[in-house]
Amino acid sequence: MSNRISRRTLLASLPTLGGLLLTGCTRETFVPPRVRGGLIGAADVLTMSTNRLLLSRQQLAREYSRSDVADPFPTWNQTNPRNAEYQRHASEGFTNWRLPISGLVARSRELSLAEIRRLPARTQITAHVCEQGWSAIGEWTGVPLQRVLDEAGGVTPAARYVVIDTFDGWYEGYDLFEVAHDQTILAYGLNGRDLPRGNGAPLRLRVERQCGYKQLKFVKSIRVVDSMAGIGRGTGGINSDFGFHWFAGV
Amino acid sequence: MGVDSPSISESRGPAADVSNPVHSYNVRICHWINLISCVYLLWSGVHIFLDFPELYWGHTGYRGYPAAFRLADWGLSWEDAGAIGDRRWGRNYHFTAAWVFLINGLVYVGWNLYSKHFRNRMVPGRDEWTVANVRAELRDSVRWRSRRHTHDGAAAGASYGTLQKTSYLILIFVYVPLMILTGIAQSPGFTAAMPMLLDLFGGRQSARTLHTIGTVALVLFVVIHVLEIAAAGFLVKVRSMIAPGSE
Repeated sequence: MSNRISRRTLLASLPTLGGLLLTGCTRETFVPPRVRGGLIGAADVLTMSTNRLLLSRQQLAREYSRSDVADPFPTWNQTNPRNAEYQRHASEGFTNWRLPISGLVARSRELSLAEIRRLPARTQITAHVCEQGWSAIGEWTGVPLQRVLDEAGGVTPAARYVVIDTFDGWYEGYDLFEVAHDQTILAYGLNGRDLPRGNGAPLRLRVERQCGYKQLKFVKSIRVVDSMAGIGRGTGGINSDFGFHWFAGV
Repeated sequence: MGVDSPSISESRGPAADVSNPVHSYNVRICHWINLISCVYLLWSGVHIFLDFPELYWGHTGYRGYPAAFRLADWGLSWEDAGAIGDRRWGRNYHFTAAWVFLINGLVYVGWNLYSKHFRNRMVPGRDEWTVANVRAELRDSVRWRSRRHTHDGAAAGASYGTLQKTSYLILIFVYVPLMILTGIAQSPGFTAAMPMLLDLFGGRQSARTLHTIGTVALVLFVVIHVLEIAAAGFLVKVRSMIAPGSE
């Protein structure tokens, strides 16, 4: 056990130098919520730290032109959660659905899809990059995740991760560096139309600097936490619970 | 071990056992770490590819989009390939091996620039790049016979021929950087930081296709490399990469 802690401390100290150069960044900006053992864990930290240092100015991912868009946009994995609650909301056009925002925010609240659509929108034509190797370009319209959190009065100083739960039983944690990015949006539109069910209606997250499995579909709720410990298997998300990279920038 | 402790192969004194010279510690250690990381990179890369066994050109590529290469056309269906390919294992080991490969490679290049290994032993001399010399090497190479002596007549356990030197330099300074760049050109994180990677290779899918072609090219290179070693006397060459020699 002591070996494990010392290794983790060693790994964590690697990016600290870089962290000093950036204001507003914490350990969570450079190191996954739970560092795996061995060389794989060391590589995880190197990959994430390198990415975050290279992206320290919060550069935008490449935005393409309309002619590059794939329409219809390909669907993959879950395209229609069988969950009864989801089916009811879908049959009602999500008019009675509410997005709860809870946890370490100034005041917990719920937003309807109509209220979300009234918030300042952002449209971005970006590549969806699947970790399997495929990629397709779509025009996503939605509201910045940061703006939605601001509707709940913003996060408290103890906040470290934003956790998104979905109707198909997935969840993922995102550190505040990713949340603060301009292109991190909750999308309700795709290619100029309402987000189709197969692509994640009513809302899907876009984190354009990470792979597809972090772009959760069928968003059900948002909560802000100080640690990913105790959520799922505690690795920070369902994908890393199953042994995939938590930081999916590669 | 310091840079000024000469390996046997580099000493010209009469005491040197020129019949069984060895590479420097650095070259030997880096070679074997490199080999292990490359085996992992290749094997994990094959797994990643099998999990999505099609290649495309440009920025876009997904199942149903016009493909430049389909494994299914070559007899292995999508489902069969997917059943073999384990991308979770593949991705974890590919990126871990990539870091080992990169750090090892930087140590190798840094050390050999410092110790002048490249300048002294890997950059072909002007006298080596003569038509007669290259023609002679090509002739020997086609006949699977290595020239067992260098231009100064020393035995060649750990010394390189002109074409060999040139191909190693191209491998280290052209091929490897291109493989790293086509690799990270597929990454949404790295391409956000360096969008020119997308323009350099004509798109994310082009980069993936070039990365795969590069892998096949490397496998062919390794086959030729091993055959050439065999032609030069397999045991002598491999011993020069392992043993401290008959000191």
